[in-house]
Amino acid sequence: MIEVSDLSIELGEFELESINLCVKEGEYFCILGPTGSGKTILLESIAGIYKPDLGSIMINNHDVTELLPKDRNISVVYQDFMLFPNMNIRDNIGFGLKYKGFEKLEIADKVERTAELLGIAHLLDRHSSTLSGGEKQRTAIARAIITEPDLLLLDEPLSALDSGTKSRLRQELLRVHQLKKTTTIHVTHSFEEAFALADRIAIMHGGKIHQIGTPDEVFRKPNSAFVADFVGVENLFHGTSVIRDNLSEIWANGLTIISSTLKSGNVSVSIRPEDILISKDPIDSSAQNSFSGVLTEITRMKSTVNLVIDSGIPFRVVLTKRAYDDMGLYVGSWVYLTFKASATHII
Amino acid sequence: MQRNGFKYANLFLMFLLTLFIFSLIFQIITHTDPVSLSTNIISPEIQFAIRLSLLTSVISTFMCILVAVPVSYSLARYDFHGKAIINTVLDLPMALPPIVAGLGLLLIFGTTSVGSFLADAGLKFVFTVPGIIMAQFAVNISLMLRIMRSTFESINPRYEHVAQTLGCTPFHAFIRTTLPLSKNGMIAGSVITWSRGMGEFGAVLMLAGATRMKTETLPIALYLNMSSGELDLAIAAATILILISGITLYLFERKGGVAKLY
Repeated sequence: MIEVSDLSIELGEFELESINLCVKEGEYFCILGPTGSGKTILLESIAGIYKPDLGSIMINNHDVTELLPKDRNISVVYQDFMLFPNMNIRDNIGFGLKYKGFEKLEIADKVERTAELLGIAHLLDRHSSTLSGGEKQRTAIARAIITEPDLLLLDEPLSALDSGTKSRLRQELLRVHQLKKTTTIHVTHSFEEAFALADRIAIMHGGKIHQIGTPDEVFRKPNSAFVADFVGVENLFHGTSVIRDNLSEIWANGLTIISSTLKSGNVSVSIRPEDILISKDPIDSSAQNSFSGVLTEITRMKSTVNLVIDSGIPFRVVLTKRAYDDMGLYVGSWVYLTFKASATHII
Repeated sequence: MQRNGFKYANLFLMFLLTLFIFSLIFQIITHTDPVSLSTNIISPEIQFAIRLSLLTSVISTFMCILVAVPVSYSLARYDFHGKAIINTVLDLPMALPPIVAGLGLLLIFGTTSVGSFLADAGLKFVFTVPGIIMAQFAVNISLMLRIMRSTFESINPRYEHVAQTLGCTPFHAFIRTTLPLSKNGMIAGSVITWSRGMGEFGAVLMLAGATRMKTETLPIALYLNMSSGELDLAIAAATILILISGITLYLFERKGGVAKLY
């Protein structure tokens, strides 16, 4: 268990103000915030790179506030990989074991097995400059988990990767976490990423933590305007998917939603609010998804109106002012929602 | 037509300058015939000057590395009050005429209690070979600092962070990551420091004096022999200094990497 209590630190123009966090054993915890919110400093303070001005950090009931990074039994993975350019992949992965007093043969064996786990065993004798971004990040993850840390710290580990690699590596992080059950703190600015990975999320802004909760709690019940604005008006929810007739059927809270993205098992789904068509009567169309529900919330923005319609899942929909006025809607109206299978993204 | 005139005027000036620099070097090398040049180079006095210059410049270069690595690391990695002022002071010797730095050194080691304390402890700098080394160090340390600082600044501190989390002390993390990654900058800095040490005149003249066969480095040999009308010996010393400049320029161009000189 990781406990951060009243942690404050001032570093040039960055500042952390009285941070309190508790991450449970084996939990996958995401710290979510925009650039400059102080989340990397928080991560590096937990790692012991910076000494806090005030407060304490406990790892598994040991006070590590005054300890050097090497004595905390933690590992860090950075966005920009930070593979040592003066070593090959094998030596990079095995780096930490040398300092933990392992024998040469044991190191060779562990490196081999960890590289296999991450699917990079064939790259061991290569130099990092010849690897792709995804391969580099797999190496960095292997180097971090091989020492079996009590806490794995990930600083925007997917941000430098292209979208295909990003989603593969996200699956990989989940798989490794399920296998190793290492307590993980993952810093990101992407709500989608946090939503797909985290057991719980902390929202950070201006050096403070604004809200801590499960992804659903943070998304459905943001406790401040900043959190609401930051997590956005995307429709995001979890469900179980099966593939049938070349389409995914996702069962989520009593609804069956059809998606053209093919993926089965437990999935996260997103639908852009502007892709949902609303009407007062059922409409006949080629779109695969059609539901009905009660209009529960109306928020007027500058040129648009945001609506929330509850049909088992609360759907967020955006209308232009003109369309909203023409439809004559009010809270409590019964409306119909229609959207295409191709507008339903499995992330 | 007008455009071509502009172009040719520029090119003409460029060729003229190249010719000017080439001929001043050519004049030195061809002033004596090859036979007497080589006899002069192997004369005891020039041999002594070569050996003394090599010895002192190699030692002062090592001293520059030893001091510049921790100091420039501090400037590159830590934030503290008065950093800008310290930076300016440390850069000063680069802008200062070496002869002025030499005067300061002479006053420190010749007139203060620090100087007499060191002299009593056996470290005499005034009119001695250690004085040559000290003068070269004082004049060249700024340049080494600048090269090492820009080298360290170009290396992401997160390499050390990762190494620290993987079991290294801060010192070990530096030795295993940043130091090997700064190899090219260090080579470039050493080559330029060494070459300037070989050629250092003003500060050496002030602190170590110009005593024949005692504190006679190559530039001092050039100066002494010019003063006494031994032009051939002066040219032998100059030719070797030209050779060293050529080698330095070549090595620096190849190893310069991220380290920018000025």
